[in-house]
Amino acid sequence: MIFMGKNDAGVGISNSIRTLRFLHDEMTQKQLAELIGVTRQTVMAIESNKYSPTLEVAFKIAEVFNLPLEEVFRYRSTAD
Amino acid sequence: MEWGIVNMSNLQKVHQWLQETSFREVTLSVDLIVTGYIFYIYLSRMYYASAEELASTVWISGVLLEVIIYSVVLMVISYIALAFVSDDELNQPMDVREKQINLVGYKYSAMILQVGVVLAMVQYGIEQQAETILFETIPHLPLHILLVAFLTAELAHYGVQLYKGRTGDIYG
Repeated sequence: MIFMGKNDAGVGISNSIRTLRFLHDEMTQKQLAELIGVTRQTVMAIESNKYSPTLEVAFKIAEVFNLPLEEVFRYRSTAD
Repeated sequence: MEWGIVNMSNLQKVHQWLQETSFREVTLSVDLIVTGYIFYIYLSRMYYASAEELASTVWISGVLLEVIIYSVVLMVISYIALAFVSDDELNQPMDVREKQINLVGYKYSAMILQVGVVLAMVQYGIEQQAETILFETIPHLPLHILLVAFLTAELAHYGVQLYKGRTGDIYG
Protein backbone atom coordinates (compact mmCIF):
# COMPACT_ATOMS: atom_id res chain seq x y z
CA MET A 1 0.00 0.00 0.00
CA ILE A 2 1.24 3.48 -0.88
CA PHE A 3 0.84 6.07 1.84
CA MET A 4 0.16 9.49 0.40
CA GLY A 5 2.10 11.69 2.75
CA LYS A 6 1.55 12.07 6.43
CA ASN A 7 -2.09 11.67 7.34
CA ASP A 8 -3.96 12.62 10.49
CA ALA A 9 -2.58 9.63 12.36
CA GLY A 10 1.00 10.72 11.52
CA VAL A 11 1.48 7.68 9.32
CA GLY A 12 3.34 7.87 6.00
CA ILE A 13 6.07 9.94 4.39
CA SER A 14 6.90 13.41 5.66
CA ASN A 15 9.74 15.76 4.77
CA SER A 16 11.68 18.82 5.86
CA ILE A 17 11.97 20.48 2.46
CA ARG A 18 10.31 23.73 3.49
CA THR A 19 12.71 24.18 6.44
CA LEU A 20 15.70 23.18 4.33
CA ARG A 21 14.77 25.68 1.63
CA PHE A 22 14.56 28.40 4.25
CA LEU A 23 17.97 27.44 5.63
CA HIS A 24 19.48 27.47 2.13
CA ASP A 25 19.30 31.22 1.53
CA GLU A 26 15.50 31.10 1.43
CA MET A 27 15.51 29.14 -1.79
CA THR A 28 12.20 29.48 -3.64
CA GLN A 29 10.08 26.54 -4.74
CA LYS A 30 10.72 27.53 -8.34
CA GLN A 31 14.49 27.47 -7.84
CA LEU A 32 14.31 24.03 -6.24
CA ALA A 33 11.98 22.81 -9.00
CA GLU A 34 14.46 23.93 -11.67
CA LEU A 35 17.34 22.23 -9.87
CA ILE A 36 15.56 18.87 -9.64
CA GLY A 37 13.75 19.05 -13.00
CA VAL A 38 10.11 19.12 -11.91
CA THR A 39 7.41 21.80 -11.87
CA ARG A 40 6.88 24.21 -8.98
CA GLN A 41 3.47 22.62 -8.37
CA THR A 42 5.15 19.25 -7.86
CA VAL A 43 7.51 20.78 -5.27
CA MET A 44 4.46 22.27 -3.55
CA ALA A 45 2.69 18.89 -3.58
CA ILE A 46 5.77 17.16 -2.13
CA GLU A 47 6.22 19.82 0.58
CA SER A 48 2.60 19.54 1.67
CA ASN A 49 2.86 15.73 1.71
CA LYS A 50 0.22 15.37 -0.99
CA TYR A 51 2.55 13.55 -3.34
CA SER A 52 5.35 11.07 -2.73
CA PRO A 53 8.21 11.82 -5.14
CA THR A 54 9.94 9.19 -7.23
CA LEU A 55 13.15 7.76 -5.80
CA GLU A 56 15.16 9.72 -8.36
CA VAL A 57 13.51 13.05 -7.44
CA ALA A 58 13.94 12.26 -3.72
CA PHE A 59 17.68 11.68 -4.24
CA LYS A 60 17.97 14.86 -6.30
CA ILE A 61 16.32 16.88 -3.52
CA ALA A 62 18.70 15.38 -0.95
CA GLU A 63 21.62 16.17 -3.26
CA VAL A 64 20.54 19.82 -3.57
CA PHE A 65 20.61 20.21 0.22
CA ASN A 66 23.76 18.06 0.48
CA LEU A 67 22.12 15.77 3.03
CA PRO A 68 21.43 12.03 3.21
CA LEU A 69 17.97 10.98 2.08
CA GLU A 70 16.76 10.05 5.56
CA GLU A 71 17.40 13.58 6.82
CA VAL A 72 15.12 15.03 4.17
CA PHE A 73 12.42 12.35 4.11
CA ARG A 74 11.04 10.30 6.99
CA TYR A 75 8.70 7.34 6.94
CA ARG A 76 6.48 6.42 9.84
CA SER A 77 4.54 3.17 9.65
CA THR A 78 1.60 2.11 11.79
CA ALA A 79 4.01 -0.06 13.80
CA ASP A 80 5.97 3.03 14.99
CA MET B 1 -9.53 49.19 9.01
CA GLU B 2 -11.26 45.86 9.35
CA TRP B 3 -12.31 46.04 5.69
CA GLY B 4 -8.66 46.71 4.82
CA ILE B 5 -7.57 43.60 6.66
CA VAL B 6 -10.24 41.51 4.95
CA ASN B 7 -9.34 43.05 1.59
CA MET B 8 -5.64 42.36 2.14
CA SER B 9 -6.51 38.83 3.09
CA ASN B 10 -8.52 38.37 -0.10
CA LEU B 11 -5.71 39.88 -2.16
CA GLN B 12 -3.28 37.52 -0.49
CA LYS B 13 -5.61 34.62 -1.24
CA VAL B 14 -5.77 35.63 -4.91
CA HIS B 15 -2.00 36.02 -4.99
CA GLN B 16 -1.57 32.64 -3.34
CA TRP B 17 -4.03 31.04 -5.79
CA LEU B 18 -2.10 32.49 -8.73
CA GLN B 19 1.14 31.23 -7.22
CA GLU B 20 -0.34 27.76 -6.80
CA THR B 21 -1.84 27.67 -10.30
CA SER B 22 0.40 26.19 -12.95
CA PHE B 23 0.21 27.14 -16.57
CA ARG B 24 -0.86 23.57 -17.30
CA GLU B 25 -3.87 24.12 -15.03
CA VAL B 26 -4.72 27.28 -16.92
CA THR B 27 -4.44 25.37 -20.21
CA LEU B 28 -6.65 22.57 -18.87
CA SER B 29 -9.20 25.10 -17.64
CA VAL B 30 -9.33 26.74 -21.08
CA ASP B 31 -9.72 23.31 -22.73
CA LEU B 32 -12.50 22.47 -20.27
CA ILE B 33 -14.36 25.73 -20.96
CA VAL B 34 -13.96 25.41 -24.75
CA THR B 35 -15.18 21.78 -24.70
CA GLY B 36 -18.09 22.76 -22.44
CA TYR B 37 -19.04 25.54 -24.85
CA ILE B 38 -18.91 23.16 -27.83
CA PHE B 39 -21.05 20.70 -25.88
CA TYR B 40 -23.54 23.51 -25.18
CA ILE B 41 -23.68 24.45 -28.89
CA TYR B 42 -24.31 20.83 -29.85
CA LEU B 43 -27.02 20.28 -27.21
CA SER B 44 -28.80 23.56 -28.05
CA ARG B 45 -28.81 22.64 -31.77
CA MET B 46 -30.34 19.28 -30.89
CA TYR B 47 -32.87 20.77 -28.47
CA TYR B 48 -34.22 23.35 -30.91
CA ALA B 49 -34.12 21.09 -33.98
CA SER B 50 -37.36 20.05 -35.64
CA ALA B 51 -38.22 16.41 -36.29
CA GLU B 52 -37.43 16.89 -39.99
CA GLU B 53 -34.02 18.37 -39.19
CA LEU B 54 -33.18 15.53 -36.81
CA ALA B 55 -34.09 13.02 -39.52
CA SER B 56 -32.06 14.84 -42.18
CA THR B 57 -28.59 13.42 -42.85
CA VAL B 58 -27.54 16.71 -44.44
CA TRP B 59 -28.57 18.69 -41.34
CA ILE B 60 -26.79 16.26 -38.99
CA SER B 61 -23.65 16.44 -41.15
CA GLY B 62 -23.83 20.24 -40.99
CA VAL B 63 -24.05 20.20 -37.17
CA LEU B 64 -21.13 17.76 -36.91
CA LEU B 65 -19.07 19.92 -39.26
CA GLU B 66 -19.96 22.98 -37.18
CA VAL B 67 -18.85 21.21 -33.98
CA ILE B 68 -15.56 20.16 -35.60
CA ILE B 69 -14.88 23.67 -36.96
CA TYR B 70 -15.70 25.23 -33.55
CA SER B 71 -13.37 22.72 -31.85
CA VAL B 72 -10.45 23.45 -34.16
CA VAL B 73 -10.89 27.23 -34.28
CA LEU B 74 -11.47 27.70 -30.52
CA MET B 75 -8.58 25.40 -29.58
CA VAL B 76 -6.19 27.15 -32.00
CA ILE B 77 -7.22 30.62 -30.77
CA SER B 78 -6.94 29.61 -27.10
CA TYR B 79 -3.52 28.01 -27.60
CA ILE B 80 -2.21 31.05 -29.48
CA ALA B 81 -3.51 33.30 -26.67
CA LEU B 82 -1.98 31.03 -24.02
CA ALA B 83 1.35 30.89 -25.85
CA PHE B 84 1.65 34.67 -25.53
CA VAL B 85 1.27 34.60 -21.75
CA SER B 86 2.93 31.26 -21.04
CA ASP B 87 6.39 32.28 -19.73
CA ASP B 88 7.80 29.31 -21.74
CA GLU B 89 5.94 26.78 -19.56
CA LEU B 90 4.14 25.37 -22.60
CA ASN B 91 7.37 23.96 -24.02
CA GLN B 92 8.46 22.25 -20.81
CA PRO B 93 7.91 18.48 -20.68
CA MET B 94 5.57 17.01 -18.04
CA ASP B 95 7.23 15.64 -14.91
CA VAL B 96 6.33 12.23 -13.43
CA ARG B 97 3.51 13.60 -11.26
CA GLU B 98 1.89 15.41 -14.18
CA LYS B 99 2.20 12.30 -16.35
CA GLN B 100 0.46 10.29 -13.61
CA ILE B 101 -2.33 12.86 -13.39
CA ASN B 102 -2.62 12.82 -17.19
CA LEU B 103 -2.96 9.02 -17.16
CA VAL B 104 -5.65 9.14 -14.47
CA GLY B 105 -7.52 11.62 -16.70
CA TYR B 106 -7.24 9.22 -19.64
CA LYS B 107 -8.54 6.35 -17.47
CA TYR B 108 -11.82 8.11 -16.70
CA SER B 109 -12.07 9.37 -20.28
CA ALA B 110 -11.64 5.82 -21.64
CA MET B 111 -14.30 4.47 -19.26
CA ILE B 112 -16.86 7.00 -20.49
CA LEU B 113 -15.96 6.31 -24.13
CA GLN B 114 -16.33 2.54 -23.61
CA VAL B 115 -19.77 2.99 -22.05
CA GLY B 116 -20.75 5.31 -24.93
CA VAL B 117 -19.61 2.85 -27.61
CA VAL B 118 -21.46 -0.05 -25.95
CA LEU B 119 -24.65 2.04 -25.60
CA ALA B 120 -24.41 3.12 -29.25
CA MET B 121 -23.98 -0.50 -30.36
CA VAL B 122 -26.97 -1.59 -28.25
CA GLN B 123 -29.05 1.26 -29.68
CA TYR B 124 -27.99 0.34 -33.22
CA GLY B 125 -29.09 -3.24 -32.59
CA ILE B 126 -32.44 -2.03 -31.26
CA GLU B 127 -32.94 0.20 -34.32
CA GLN B 128 -32.27 -2.75 -36.63
CA GLN B 129 -35.08 -4.65 -34.90
CA ALA B 130 -37.39 -1.63 -34.78
CA GLU B 131 -40.06 -3.39 -36.80
CA THR B 132 -40.41 -6.08 -34.18
CA ILE B 133 -40.09 -3.76 -31.17
CA LEU B 134 -42.55 -1.21 -32.62
CA PHE B 135 -41.44 2.05 -31.05
CA GLU B 136 -39.94 5.16 -32.54
CA THR B 137 -36.46 6.32 -31.63
CA ILE B 138 -34.66 9.58 -32.38
CA PRO B 139 -33.12 9.37 -35.86
CA HIS B 140 -29.36 8.70 -35.90
CA LEU B 141 -29.39 8.13 -32.13
CA PRO B 142 -26.24 5.92 -32.07
CA LEU B 143 -24.33 8.82 -33.67
CA HIS B 144 -25.60 11.24 -31.02
CA ILE B 145 -24.70 8.79 -28.25
CA LEU B 146 -21.16 8.51 -29.62
CA LEU B 147 -20.78 12.28 -29.90
CA VAL B 148 -22.13 12.92 -26.39
CA ALA B 149 -19.82 10.18 -25.03
CA PHE B 150 -16.85 11.75 -26.82
CA LEU B 151 -17.58 15.26 -25.50
CA THR B 152 -18.31 13.95 -21.98
CA ALA B 153 -15.07 11.96 -22.07
CA GLU B 154 -13.16 15.10 -23.07
CA LEU B 155 -14.78 17.05 -20.22
CA ALA B 156 -13.90 14.24 -17.79
CA HIS B 157 -10.33 14.13 -19.12
CA TYR B 158 -9.76 17.83 -18.39
CA GLY B 159 -11.89 17.98 -15.23
CA VAL B 160 -10.28 14.97 -13.57
CA GLN B 161 -6.81 16.33 -14.28
CA LEU B 162 -7.72 19.67 -12.72
CA TYR B 163 -9.29 17.98 -9.69
CA LYS B 164 -6.47 15.50 -9.15
CA GLY B 165 -3.82 18.14 -9.68
CA ARG B 166 -5.46 20.41 -7.14
CA THR B 167 -6.26 17.85 -4.45
CA GLY B 168 -3.10 15.77 -4.91
CA ASP B 169 -5.14 12.57 -4.63
CA ILE B 170 -3.63 11.10 -7.79
CA TYR B 171 -3.63 7.44 -6.79
CA GLY B 172 -7.42 7.17 -6.75
